[in-house]
Amino acid sequence: MKESPQNNKLEALLRSSKLVAGGFMGSDNRGVLEIIDADKIELSRLGFTCQQLASRMRQITDAAKTGLETWVQIDDNLEAKTEEARGFLPCPWPHAGRFVKRVTIIRRINTSETIQWSDLNIHLIGGHGFFQGRGSNFRIEPAILIKMIF
Amino acid sequence: MILAILTAVMVVSLIAAALAGVLVVSEHYLNDYGRCRITINDERELEVEGGRDLLSLLTSEKIFIPSACGGRSTCGLCKLKVLEGAGPLLPTEEPFLDEDERKSNVRLSCQVKVRQDLKIEIPKELFAIREYTCKCAEITDLTNDIKQFRFELVEPQTMDYVPGQYIQLRTPVYEKSSEEVYRAYSIASDPAQKNIIDLIIRLVPGGICTTYCFEYLKVGDEVKMNGPYGEFRLSETDAPMVFIAGGSGMAPIKCMLHHMKNTQNKRKAVYYFGANHPRQLFHLDLMKELEKNLPDFKFVPVLSEPDNGDNSKYEKGLVTDAVRKGLKNASKSEAYLCGSPGMIEASIKVLRELGMDEKNIFYDKFE
Repeated sequence: MKESPQNNKLEALLRSSKLVAGGFMGSDNRGVLEIIDADKIELSRLGFTCQQLASRMRQITDAAKTGLETWVQIDDNLEAKTEEARGFLPCPWPHAGRFVKRVTIIRRINTSETIQWSDLNIHLIGGHGFFQGRGSNFRIEPAILIKMIF
Repeated sequence: MILAILTAVMVVSLIAAALAGVLVVSEHYLNDYGRCRITINDERELEVEGGRDLLSLLTSEKIFIPSACGGRSTCGLCKLKVLEGAGPLLPTEEPFLDEDERKSNVRLSCQVKVRQDLKIEIPKELFAIREYTCKCAEITDLTNDIKQFRFELVEPQTMDYVPGQYIQLRTPVYEKSSEEVYRAYSIASDPAQKNIIDLIIRLVPGGICTTYCFEYLKVGDEVKMNGPYGEFRLSETDAPMVFIAGGSGMAPIKCMLHHMKNTQNKRKAVYYFGANHPRQLFHLDLMKELEKNLPDFKFVPVLSEPDNGDNSKYEKGLVTDAVRKGLKNASKSEAYLCGSPGMIEASIKVLRELGMDEKNIFYDKFE
């Protein structure tokens, strides 16, 4: 990992609890670029890009929003609902961007497996390739995400 | 040869260290803005140590400006006029300010650094906002992810507020948050109990304040809050009222209903409360009691996913479906909404289709 002052600042912000309780890195000791690179390799092995995932996640969230916090059927085997809280979350990367505090919960109908993501998650994956550190509240394993949404 | 390389490396390192030292020392002196004077409304003057943002400086002087994000430029609530000394508008402020506000020098106080004397204007009502020390007196589970927190005011012992207003709860530094933050919550209590503030809070995954309240706050703990804030309140007309709010959005509506009971308000009112399952309904006994004690009040729970039990007493579907079915004509009514932007937008659309004038729709959006 390159030890640039910008990276150090970003890493410190991601590890801190300034934006979300417990931070974005969880108990992961790897650096942010290491996490991004590892997930990128995993995604490439699985044959997907971050943008494909973010686009599908956005599509599901937009459909789920119409249910006003009740379950909405997305396809034959997938349903989703959103929950919203007061306020916004800014992107920790140094650019303008703030996201409604909305969590999308998705559920496979046949297995009842669920995963969840926030609007900020979608941006972090699509815009920065960042799935968050292991042990953080909103870490999503790329393989599980792909299995759930495609 | 090796000695020459080592000497060169040492010399370069020493120069770099010396330069870093100069930078640290110069930063210390250059960032020392000394004492700055803040003139408020041409009436009051504060002498403060420069270098910090205006919002936190005012807060430390016990002048509380609304802010839901704790100074991160994400809520846009901490607006005030800075007539002199603010410096140029920052990109972080631009999305929150319209053309008129920019022309009249409105700024986000969390983004304005105090580096010189400032002249500012603050709405007079904000001077009435105070900080309260409270004791957590009771925590009640309402659903799997919603709790009601009761706080007894210790100092000052009472708070005068208008039903519909909100407070800002301070979250102290704790295991999962390295700094104090403030979050806004609507007051849910009966206004007759002036030394009690009830809040209805839903757990937000990863939320700094809600994680603190749900996992760390205990009965007997001291907390701080400031307020009251907000313009969401009952009008003084006799128009029939429609309340729409689900989950923790019940808070300001509950407070308004208590107030209506206390003041023997005779206005016709109906409250549509949306949830997924019967287990997500709460305060049903209280709503029944209010139905008995208010002259013309009806509580309508609406379920999108009724369970296998007796669901005959509930409306089915989305809350907006129930509103459409129950109201027919809303042209003479007023609406009071609290909840997520999505729910509010969908409700406004339905109410307008039912003939309600948009100026009669009042809401407290979760923004």
